[in-house]
Amino acid sequence: MADPANDFIRDYQALAQQSWDAWTRQLQQQQSQPAGSPFFTPPTAPASGNDTLERTLAGLKGYFDWMQGAAAGGAAAAPADWRQQVQQLFGGASQPFAQAFSGIDSAGAEGFARQWQSWMQAVQHSGFGDLPGAHGPTPAFGLNREQQMQQQAMSAAVLASLQASARYQALIQRANTQGMARLQGKLAQHAEPDRQIDSLKALYDLWVDSAEEAYAEIALSDEFREAYGEMVNTQMHVRQLQQQQTEQMCQQLGVPTRSEVSSLGERLQALRREFRAGQTSATNDHADEIMALRRELAALKRQLASTPAAAAPSAKPVASAKTRASAAAKVVSKAPAAALRKKAVVSKSRNSPSKRK
Amino acid sequence: MHTPLRIDPTKALGDIATFQRKLAAGMGHLRGMREPEYANTPRKLVYSEDKLKVWHFEGHSRPTAKTPLLIVYALVNTVWMTDLQADRSMVRNLLEQGEDVYLIDWGYPDGADRWLTLDDYINGYLDRCVDVVCQRHGLDAINLLGICQGGAFSLSYTALHADKVKNLITMVTPVDFHTPDNMLSHWCRNMDVDLFVDTMGNIPAGLMNYVYLTLKPVRLNQQKYIGMVDILDNPTELENFLRMERWIFDSPDQAGEAFRQFIKDFYQGNKLVKGTLEIGGKLVDLGMVTHPVLNIFAEQDHLVPPDASRAMGKHVGTTDYTQLAFKGGHIGIYVSGRAQREVPPAIHQWLSARD
Repeated sequence: MADPANDFIRDYQALAQQSWDAWTRQLQQQQSQPAGSPFFTPPTAPASGNDTLERTLAGLKGYFDWMQGAAAGGAAAAPADWRQQVQQLFGGASQPFAQAFSGIDSAGAEGFARQWQSWMQAVQHSGFGDLPGAHGPTPAFGLNREQQMQQQAMSAAVLASLQASARYQALIQRANTQGMARLQGKLAQHAEPDRQIDSLKALYDLWVDSAEEAYAEIALSDEFREAYGEMVNTQMHVRQLQQQQTEQMCQQLGVPTRSEVSSLGERLQALRREFRAGQTSATNDHADEIMALRRELAALKRQLASTPAAAAPSAKPVASAKTRASAAAKVVSKAPAAALRKKAVVSKSRNSPSKRK
Repeated sequence: MHTPLRIDPTKALGDIATFQRKLAAGMGHLRGMREPEYANTPRKLVYSEDKLKVWHFEGHSRPTAKTPLLIVYALVNTVWMTDLQADRSMVRNLLEQGEDVYLIDWGYPDGADRWLTLDDYINGYLDRCVDVVCQRHGLDAINLLGICQGGAFSLSYTALHADKVKNLITMVTPVDFHTPDNMLSHWCRNMDVDLFVDTMGNIPAGLMNYVYLTLKPVRLNQQKYIGMVDILDNPTELENFLRMERWIFDSPDQAGEAFRQFIKDFYQGNKLVKGTLEIGGKLVDLGMVTHPVLNIFAEQDHLVPPDASRAMGKHVGTTDYTQLAFKGGHIGIYVSGRAQREVPPAIHQWLSARD
């Protein structure tokens, strides 16, 4: 089985759910340690906690390391070739801002690399030997045919995902390189004595502007769009296959599966919609009935008003009024009865599940 | 020829020492600090259904507006951006202007809400919320204020239920999802959304936040926190910063089916402006929006590009269309000092003329 803890989704979660509480706790722990660096001593907490904490601190640590490196590397000295100096400050192996991009963007690839390794180990330990399908599709047969086919599909999916992630990473790296070129272009405009960059922070801010501009340009390209879509789709495919294998195992163990729960949810929501629609329909029916009754009543009133009896003086006006009211009531009383019968039929059909399907 | 870098070594070392000192001092400020509260403007629960709540806000004085205003927020993030803190609360400012303000709090969807569709949200939840406010005031129609995705919902709702809306206000609302500078739309165009939702179910808030961070990875993931170090010794600013962090990351998951439809129909299909959007089997015709419309957008919005909002003017059927460009970003339009001075008064003034 693949280790779902190490996939792309978990990876982003570890990053994005950074907790300042964790930072605070860690800083509290570090305060009591006589370590050389009071801020960025590698944490001694369990591995998962470390991972989250390191990611939380990665941005600040990158900046701090870069400032130290820049100061020690002679950023303040007047160089013969400033472009080379900038290249050393921001590029190559000492690239101080890798965390800003890699903290987010290469996390997916790293996560999947780990996932791939753990999955491979799990498969080998489970007695499958060499990875099925890792060297191309192989016809399967026998009692374990289905499992072999599934493992082949998983191998192909993971490989596709790794390739997609690598393609995406290449674009991120390109954005980084182009950001450097933009920085040099911007710096060239600061060569005048009154426009020179005079602090590490100002240099950093200029780099951020350059890096973001380069990234935005690439991120809006068709190439990036395709790579992004491919990365997401291939990773979802791996996850889907993992879920299928998990479900099969759960079914064998008699454990309810996510798809079963999901199906129940879908049916429940459909019933709720049906119920709401029924309520609305009933309300509308009532409104229609009331309107019809009002129209009938108005018509009756007009009719009575236009009859000669109503127009002429009556010897028994009270009795006449009673008669009219009684006649009107008889007419009116028919409508609700009819409507109720109609409503009962509607209600019956709605409550009959066998007729719904 | 001069070099562009003239960094004094002593100053550079001083900067490093200052950074280190501020970070160390910041530990003391952070330790024991309580989670910052939102503004919590006094409010009363007037309706609830599933995880949804409708709040009625209470100002210091009685509203002068005759028609109540219902705020329809997006499903992403929480509604408390509109009432973030006492001196940065759009709700509070609207109350002070004399508006009678209601707010839909969508809540935090879980697995039970996986199958909620846009029809359920717009023709179901939203429609019933409008009915509740109408009944409370004995009115046939009320004012709607839709924000971001909630603006797209409000626009669609107004087209579908024209007789229940008196005036429509939209803020940072995407209408044309295919403008060339729309990065989110660009990224999801090649996504297999069916595979995505079928696999993920509800879309985790963490994933949404992750994607938002990658819109400006260095600025949002590093530069912002370096800036935070400068305010670690300022309790008020630090509290404000952490309150915003709370709002950004304490966000709800997205109901799977609604997410699927929103991505396919709005982001990928751009059906709202194409006139082919259907919600609950009914065509959403923006030409039916003949109501007065006030469309407010942010000029530096990196989530909803201004052109995506401006497009509304070309598609709605109204002859009373007002557009307001705000100098700021997607969040600043609610919480910046400029926003407090400009946005609620503009909304109130516009509504007053149509009350």
